[in-house]
Amino acid sequence: MIAFRIFLTLALLVASTASATKAGKLTLSFDHYFDGPEMTRSLEQLNAAYPNLTELRIIGTSEEGRDIHLLTINNNKTGKDTEKPGVYVDGTIHGNEVQAAEVCLYLAWYLLESYDSNESIKELVDSRAFYIIPVVNVDQRWRFFTDAGHYNKGRTAMVPYDDDRDGLADEDSSEDLDGDGEILRMRVADPFGGYKTHPDDPRVMVRVEPGEIGQWRRLGSEGIDNDGDGRLNEDGPGYLDMNRNYGFKWQPPYVQSGAGDFPMSSKPTKATSDFIITKPNICFNFAFHNSGGMWVRGPGSKLAGFYPPSDVKVYDFLGKEGEKITPGYDYIIGGQDMYTTHGDFDEWMFSNNGIFGFVGELFMSEQERYRKQEPKKSEDEDDSQYYGGTPAEERQLFSDNLTQGEMYTPWKKFDHPQFGEVEIGGWRTFTTRMPPPFLMLEMVHRNASMVIFTARHAPVVSLELLDVTDLGGGLKRVRVRASNRNAIPTLSSTAVRHKIYRKDILRIDGVEVVSGGIIEDRFLNRVSSLEHRPHMIFTSVPSFGRRDVQWIVRGKGKAKVTFEAIKARNKSLTIDL
Amino acid sequence: MTRLLATTVALTLLVSIAIGGVTSAEAAYRTPKEINQTLKELANQHKSSAALAELTRTPGNRELYMLELGANDSKLPAILVVANMEGNSPMASSAALELARLLLTDWNDELATHRWYILACGNPDGYARYFSKPLADAQVNERPFNADKDDATDEDGPEDLNGDGYITSMRQAHPEGTYVEVTDNPLFMREVDNAKGEVGMYRLFREGVDSDGDGKLNEDGPGGVNPGHNFPHNFKHYTKTDGPWSASEAESRALLRYCFDHSEIAMTLTLGRTNSLKNVPESNRRAEAGGDKFKLPKRWAKRMGVDPEKEFPMKVLLPMARDFTGYKELTEDMLLQWLDAGAKVNPDKNDLGYWKEISKRFNDFLKENELDGKALDAPGFSDGCFEEWAYYQYGVPSFSLNFWTLPEPKKEEKKADDSSLTLDQLEGMSTEEVVALGEEKIAAFLKAQDAPEQYTAAMVIKGLEGGMMNPKRMAKMMRKSQKDDDEGGADEKDEALFAFNPDAFVAWQPYSHPTLGEVEIGGMIPMSDITPPSETADEMINKQLPFIRDLAKLTPQLTIKKVKTTRRSADVWHVEAWIANEGFLPYPTHQGKRCQRPAPAVAKISGRPVDFLEGRPRRPLGLLGGSGGVEKVSWLVKAKDGSEVTIEAHSFSAGADKKVVTLKEATR
Repeated sequence: MIAFRIFLTLALLVASTASATKAGKLTLSFDHYFDGPEMTRSLEQLNAAYPNLTELRIIGTSEEGRDIHLLTINNNKTGKDTEKPGVYVDGTIHGNEVQAAEVCLYLAWYLLESYDSNESIKELVDSRAFYIIPVVNVDQRWRFFTDAGHYNKGRTAMVPYDDDRDGLADEDSSEDLDGDGEILRMRVADPFGGYKTHPDDPRVMVRVEPGEIGQWRRLGSEGIDNDGDGRLNEDGPGYLDMNRNYGFKWQPPYVQSGAGDFPMSSKPTKATSDFIITKPNICFNFAFHNSGGMWVRGPGSKLAGFYPPSDVKVYDFLGKEGEKITPGYDYIIGGQDMYTTHGDFDEWMFSNNGIFGFVGELFMSEQERYRKQEPKKSEDEDDSQYYGGTPAEERQLFSDNLTQGEMYTPWKKFDHPQFGEVEIGGWRTFTTRMPPPFLMLEMVHRNASMVIFTARHAPVVSLELLDVTDLGGGLKRVRVRASNRNAIPTLSSTAVRHKIYRKDILRIDGVEVVSGGIIEDRFLNRVSSLEHRPHMIFTSVPSFGRRDVQWIVRGKGKAKVTFEAIKARNKSLTIDL
Repeated sequence: MTRLLATTVALTLLVSIAIGGVTSAEAAYRTPKEINQTLKELANQHKSSAALAELTRTPGNRELYMLELGANDSKLPAILVVANMEGNSPMASSAALELARLLLTDWNDELATHRWYILACGNPDGYARYFSKPLADAQVNERPFNADKDDATDEDGPEDLNGDGYITSMRQAHPEGTYVEVTDNPLFMREVDNAKGEVGMYRLFREGVDSDGDGKLNEDGPGGVNPGHNFPHNFKHYTKTDGPWSASEAESRALLRYCFDHSEIAMTLTLGRTNSLKNVPESNRRAEAGGDKFKLPKRWAKRMGVDPEKEFPMKVLLPMARDFTGYKELTEDMLLQWLDAGAKVNPDKNDLGYWKEISKRFNDFLKENELDGKALDAPGFSDGCFEEWAYYQYGVPSFSLNFWTLPEPKKEEKKADDSSLTLDQLEGMSTEEVVALGEEKIAAFLKAQDAPEQYTAAMVIKGLEGGMMNPKRMAKMMRKSQKDDDEGGADEKDEALFAFNPDAFVAWQPYSHPTLGEVEIGGMIPMSDITPPSETADEMINKQLPFIRDLAKLTPQLTIKKVKTTRRSADVWHVEAWIANEGFLPYPTHQGKRCQRPAPAVAKISGRPVDFLEGRPRRPLGLLGGSGGVEKVSWLVKAKDGSEVTIEAHSFSAGADKKVVTLKEATR
């Protein structure tokens, strides 16, 4: 850990602002992991450097009283944030999935630093609102840097839970027995333990073949049996998985472990959901996690039902582009291609709020290959998310020769108070689920680029007059088109189907309206006329598509047509009759 | 004055002085404000044994108070009483307040064994609407809700067009009409059956105008969400009044939080519209996911070498999975979760036995107190209700009581000859008894009751044996079908309400409606079917509360039944303890075991100087069945002759016990 810190400091000293942009106002270096204070400080610095484009707000506090920060990027000169399509991005809902916060921070920094130098970014920032919460699980991400850790430790919210059903909560956690700042693995010599030392690398253990005598038994995490129940480290802090604590088809802990007592029972999930419902303009969300290299969409479970085909098309378009922006990632359906989840954030966003979104699973163990570049990824060896990707002995060589051994602590004897002589060793905290720092910049940039690509596809509606036809007797037919050249519709079909929002309104004012309605087929002249309030048509504008409407009006002079949307900018048009 | 009397007076006033029908606020049923006032008074008058906790404020800025009775000693198991959670049960709030008063006075002794937590009105916003004018049938809280998703919120509610103080119905003769008057009673309407060649005449609406001009009447009234339908078991999304997700409302969240903060709660009692004491919940819900048999995921089936298409019951799967994984501690719960078996939706059959016995006692109690007159069935559980949540997710015994439903109108039953069964008799019989009658007798009975020809005796027997039908439900269906024939299809509730109080219906009167044109306004006065006159209400409450008081006595109670010590060798002792549950109800319930609540009871041994050779000093116990369910715990200890060891049994909501024994040669 200390060596790691020195490495980081050195890296910091030589770091330059790694970005395609010209020197900006604030230098942030994405060659190390930002601990709790530095993450907060960086957000404050960004806010201070760009007061006209950002707002930094605390949307709530955690169970342990830490602030949850929201950075809003919006140019108030071009309109209020809620008038524009919004993109929501968060990270580290699982506290050990740390680098998600760096992706969020990088995204914010990159958008702001490029604002003056890159026309396309300027246009994007001026026409969209970005809501960025780099750290949802502030308690555990903070602790990941300060406490003795393990890469799998810190997923939960700090809500006590009796995991082992013995009437006590959180009474048997893992411990850093040898005081090296890491919770590693323990093994004990045991001929029937099922494992032996790898013939080529003494640090690696492999399963014995049938008939072979073994050498080791794996004991699990470093620690002692605190509650004397014969089980080791079986009831650590928590467990409440905030990404199972959201409200859509939430299932109780006996169905979905980590669900919490009831929907939004943890403070960060309540704070984020309370915030999100105040911003109905959000049309897309990204929730960054690690690891595996995936763009995951719902449905997360059979209970969540199916997604309407027109919504799936939107996902498919963006997901397939994502696979190219972040090579190695797969675009998948969580509940079908991975495992069932109930009460996760993305399901709540999509099924309850009609907001499209991806979970971005950052980092692939394949990035830690130690071999000559192969022409193509072979299909058969990647059947699990992490540690499956690159064989352990190969990762050891990667660690030896690309991080000078920073990633791994070799086995060392230790006198365990309960088990006698054991050995402690293993992959260190900042490994396995996240890349070594030298691979970070590409990761944050590519993933932020996916957010930017998607944000470009937020709905932008243009309103145009198709024609005005004189029907005689003072009557005129006015035909108007609202079109959206982007992938994300003004309302998802899910939102329309379940009446989640007010629909978009196309209305005409200033004339007497005799009839009005949506043109189903312009050439065959099929119109669905409204029986009531024909001046006001409730509708939505689809993905890469248009909505044509017509009114039959009586009157002269000017009429005003307006388009009002929740998730796109309003537009208006004056028509001379 | 009761609502029904008020109705009469109001109608009289309406006729005589032609001003708007104004009902005075009810004296018998307290408003949410008066309920809170009463709670404060109770807490003030009994400072040593009552405290008031403010759980939250509603969207309408009303306080939600929990009255906590009993000494502030959380070691006592507690009974949680939740009243009027759905806002449509005036009697429930009255009963809760009366129960609190009794527990603080005449029934004070009860507080020595249990604490009582009483939420006298769980949905004050919704309930306040009962006292508002005009009276409408709506129990939602005051959170604004754009029900029709147009450009305005809460802009098109009902209106009291005829000024009688009630939102009743409007009927309009119309070509699209699907309703007709009921022949025997023109106050009632019924939907026509086109398949019988009937032609509809009227369209029915709630009283009001199309305030926003969208062509729809009253489609976006004031508020909100009914917090009584907002709990996380069997919650339904995408409804108009149940909330966007469960626990979305201040009221439901506060109560959920309260429950999880009070693990001493041993039982819940919901006072409202349902009655699980009288009618045990049936096991007929279909689960959204899962079932009793499971297929293995393909990948695993392949590795384990079993057919991925074959379904296995849990008793086969569990040993199979333990064997395959080598993980001996693998539990059924873990496996169910891994298989994504989903949530339980029907009561566990082992719990159902206890529920049935309690229900039998309740029905006997009703009989003894002459409260067993025929009455309409209470409604079933609503989706997302508190009653079911308390059992399925909180894991405690959950009962509900409604005190009163409309009496069934008296009528003569068909009886062809003396030898044939009556519907009443049928209702009282068990499934086995009916089946035992044999095909011939059942056929005669069906004929006598004018059952449709397609229902043959063989079919009935098959249905009864297969559990698709029971005598009670069969009698109900047959009554209903006879009624449909007899009364031109009048609704059972309309009939009963009219028989109980004819003034509960407003006669149809013409009205010139701004958009519909000529209509008639009339029909049932909202909530008149659930609010009997105060004397009736008080009588029903007073007579039934003792059963609630005694229900508390059924909670599980831990006891160390016996401790036996045996000398095994010099200074080595075998200590055995039998931990029993002396309460009637199990600890936890079988569903509680599944949903992992409450925490298990624990047995502990301590003593100094004592060394433990075998057995862990602290041992969580399994499910302790009701009425003496027992688990033996044993330890092997090393201690000098004459040493003392302490055995303790502990639980959060089933009490505790302690025994000190001396390790001596002759100890028994």
